[in-house]
Amino acid sequence: MARLDEIAKVIRSKNAGPFCLTLDILFGDDPSYRRVVAAEAITREKMAALYRQPVENVQVYHHPTALAMKVSIVRAAPAGSLMDTDLYGAQQHVLLYPIEIA
Amino acid sequence: MKPEMKVLSASGQLGYGIPEEAFRRGVARQPDVIGADMGSIDPGPYCLGSGEMVVAGEGLRRDLRMVLEAAKETGAPLLMGSAGTAGRRSQLDGVIEVVESIAKERGLSFRLATIAADIPVDVVRKHLRAGDIEPCGIVPALTEKELDRATGIVAQMGVEPFQRAIKMGADVVIAGRSCDTSMFAAIPLLKGYDKGLTMHMAKLIECASACADPGGRDASMGVMGEGYFIVESMHPRQRCTPVSVAAHALYEQSNPFQLEEPGGIIDLTDSRYEQIDERRVRVTGSVWRPTSRYHVKLEGARHTGYRYIAMGGIRDPRMIAATDSVAEETRQIVERTFAGSIDPSEYTVQFRIYGKDAVLGAAEPTPGMAQSHEIFVLIDVVGRTAAIAKSVCGVAKQFFLHLRYPGILCTSGNIAHPFSPDVLSAGPVYEFNIYHLMPAGDPGELFPIEMRTIGGGT
Repeated sequence: MARLDEIAKVIRSKNAGPFCLTLDILFGDDPSYRRVVAAEAITREKMAALYRQPVENVQVYHHPTALAMKVSIVRAAPAGSLMDTDLYGAQQHVLLYPIEIA
Repeated sequence: MKPEMKVLSASGQLGYGIPEEAFRRGVARQPDVIGADMGSIDPGPYCLGSGEMVVAGEGLRRDLRMVLEAAKETGAPLLMGSAGTAGRRSQLDGVIEVVESIAKERGLSFRLATIAADIPVDVVRKHLRAGDIEPCGIVPALTEKELDRATGIVAQMGVEPFQRAIKMGADVVIAGRSCDTSMFAAIPLLKGYDKGLTMHMAKLIECASACADPGGRDASMGVMGEGYFIVESMHPRQRCTPVSVAAHALYEQSNPFQLEEPGGIIDLTDSRYEQIDERRVRVTGSVWRPTSRYHVKLEGARHTGYRYIAMGGIRDPRMIAATDSVAEETRQIVERTFAGSIDPSEYTVQFRIYGKDAVLGAAEPTPGMAQSHEIFVLIDVVGRTAAIAKSVCGVAKQFFLHLRYPGILCTSGNIAHPFSPDVLSAGPVYEFNIYHLMPAGDPGELFPIEMRTIGGGT
């Protein structure tokens, strides 16, 4: 077992428009990418639970050419709205760090 | 075979300092087009709602001087979009003013086209009543009430208005809100290069050298050929690799394979990336898939109210442990204090507690503060008027500062304010309220072009 932040090269979050938060996990090498895909640790259901959103508000993409995974989530509060905590969505990635990968 | 066409991306955020060395290297390669993106929706609703110039001063002036002089030196057309961040008329005018002043100072002359992207409320209303406005993603449906609250509405223009300006003889084009691809794709498409590849190339270079490894803010070059394009950073120590270029499709996009643009999507499912030398990647296989209708993306913001804030640190472990309950009690006292004079719907009070959950909110897995030796509290009040916000924030601050809690030893103050005054104005507050798609029969009619001659004979 290892944590995702011990395997990935880049783990980041950012807005994709004011109403969507998108998380990118870049691996940089094929074995790491395949290991995380095989572990099925990044699924819509697991991401929905982690970010407290209904499953229909979450999308997960695998990108073998970029050796990357992407998670896109409807923002809990739109960017810059009264209840928003993170205008650029730049600090929302940290929940991914401790995910255990087989 | 078509000759190759070189498109130089000067900057992904013109006005924040173009790195000079890489840009010079790009200009020396004699580009056929120079493009620059000046804006984004990312800095939030304030820029759009207020119409204020967000980028200004010497940073903007320096960058504009660099690209205008490079255009003169190379003879390449210069295309700039999303003027002044949000791309509203007032911001476009602010940029034009700086351009005119630089031209005068440097003795430059050129044909300038300016293209506004503001959309009149009544144009949107007509489409709304016809049932033609769709949410862009998971966004509430637009209502006439929200539409009327918007203080600024722009639409992202596609390549067509830029192409029209070039056909009218413009040497320099400055546009309001634009798709970040339009400045880089407009001219290659006029010359007949494949649309899927051209749009993909534009998407890669619009963020300057972010698609390289290591990524940067340096100028980058997209070279269009027949059936391919090549992408390269102008910084000698930044390499484009198949992985770095493929990965850029993820950046700020919700779906990395289907990128939505006016009139169609860029489909990257079958894109292939090939390392052709140490620093360059050739891309093939990207496909343009037209949609049945041509839509533009509308962006709008409304004025919500005014913000006052109070802030400070808490170091007393007893108060740290009591912070949540003190905040909740303060909230109730504020409501009781103003009951009968200010309706609760006219203000919001938030205690943003850093050291607890102020960044992740409800998703925070470790909201306990027991281990924190120091925390930061931001009292955030937004009122319908500035007077309401100031008064509510003052009362909230005062009760939070002096409220007694079980186990208290320090009876002289619960929070260390760093500033005087301890209640600060944070200005007007705007929120996005339009992020919708609107059909456009002829995109030209939404984006009026004005031509003028700058310098020359004066």
